[in-house]
Amino acid sequence: MNSNSDKALMLKVKKGELDKLGLLFERYHRGLYRYFYRMCRDKNTSEDLVQSVFERLLKYRQSYTGEGKFSTWLFSIARNQFNDHHRRSERIGNPVQLDEDRLEMPEETTAPVHQVKEKKEILEEALYALPEDYREVIILSRYEGLRYKEIAEIFESTEGAIKVKMFRAMKELKDIALSFEKEYNYE
Amino acid sequence: MNKKYEQLIADYLAGELDAAGKEELEILLAEGKIDFMEFRTIEATYEGLGDLSDPKPDEATSTRFYAMLEQETQKNTHAGMFERIYESLRKMISQLSVPKMAYAMALLIIGGFIGSWMNEDSNEIEKLSQEMQSLKEMMMVNMLEGSSAADRLKAVNISSELPNADLEAINALLFTLNNDPSVNVRVQTIEALKRWGDNERVRQGLVRSIATQESPIVLIELADAMTELEVRSSAREFEKVLQERELDYNVQQKLQSSIAVLM
Repeated sequence: MNSNSDKALMLKVKKGELDKLGLLFERYHRGLYRYFYRMCRDKNTSEDLVQSVFERLLKYRQSYTGEGKFSTWLFSIARNQFNDHHRRSERIGNPVQLDEDRLEMPEETTAPVHQVKEKKEILEEALYALPEDYREVIILSRYEGLRYKEIAEIFESTEGAIKVKMFRAMKELKDIALSFEKEYNYE
Repeated sequence: MNKKYEQLIADYLAGELDAAGKEELEILLAEGKIDFMEFRTIEATYEGLGDLSDPKPDEATSTRFYAMLEQETQKNTHAGMFERIYESLRKMISQLSVPKMAYAMALLIIGGFIGSWMNEDSNEIEKLSQEMQSLKEMMMVNMLEGSSAADRLKAVNISSELPNADLEAINALLFTLNNDPSVNVRVQTIEALKRWGDNERVRQGLVRSIATQESPIVLIELADAMTELEVRSSAREFEKVLQERELDYNVQQKLQSSIAVLM
């Protein structure tokens, strides 16, 4: 095993070489942040969740067995963290807040909506309009480069079911984006 | 649509389709079993996802993580030390007879008295040296923000007097490395940071800095530092620099030899 592979580093962390977690952080914190941000669109929440994932890695390092891919294990932890956060927010009546900076229209924007909505903005809004599990499969596959087999492990599902989910998520995304496009162009 | 076709398209989108799968998909499209227009729009939507903005975390995320890691490392070191002391004491006591134990107790008590008498002085000295170090660090961080290159060079040199660096000093030096207009200051900063080369934050900061450096002198200095510190992950960054930039022949040679060592 390469001594700097993810697995080797995590096994060293498990043995007490905690500084090795720094390298894993450098490899994965951006990806985790992207995943959280694309799930909740809130900067602070995403940063908190990244931190809590690495806190968990440290806290439960003894439970790491080295089986399977490290990234699969990491994103399983991330997914649980996100779901816990989501449940907690809903329980206390404070659902995940969207990043207001991103949603606010620029002050000087007085032009009609269809003139300022670019295709990619429409696609971004369509992505956030998708059901959460559809959005999550797209994020993990398209942006984080996880294979369907790995996503299936994270979702505790089968590879075939994840492929079907991915296709349906993309189909729905395409339909929503087209309907938004029509809406903005004919408004 | 048939689930098998859906899986085929999902594989195609993620680039997980083999040659046989591609052929099958083409036949299904040609026979109209998969709607060609729908397939194309889904493919275009998938490609369009690549144009969306890439959210990036703040530098504060790293600072917070490394502070947490530092705290945990210290806790772990202390815990390990106490466990070792406890284990040795336990072994020692289990081997002692009663007279030996009494003798050891007497020695321990006498030692305790002497220790507490001497401790007052050593505590004072330790406190003073800690204060000196934080003063030096504060002075260094302030001077690094100064307008004259000579002052900033002095500040970098002060850092070499610090026995160990805290996060603030490291961050200040990394900031200088990436932003200082003077090549001399940046070269000295690499030298200063090398001293703390076993610190993960320093290693990663140096690697990240490779892409931001335009000066060949600084790139060569970084290549030497990376080889010395054996930061293998820097090889990828140097390769990128070689691919993306038109560098002087000698600089190219230097970077290539460093990559060979690092790989």
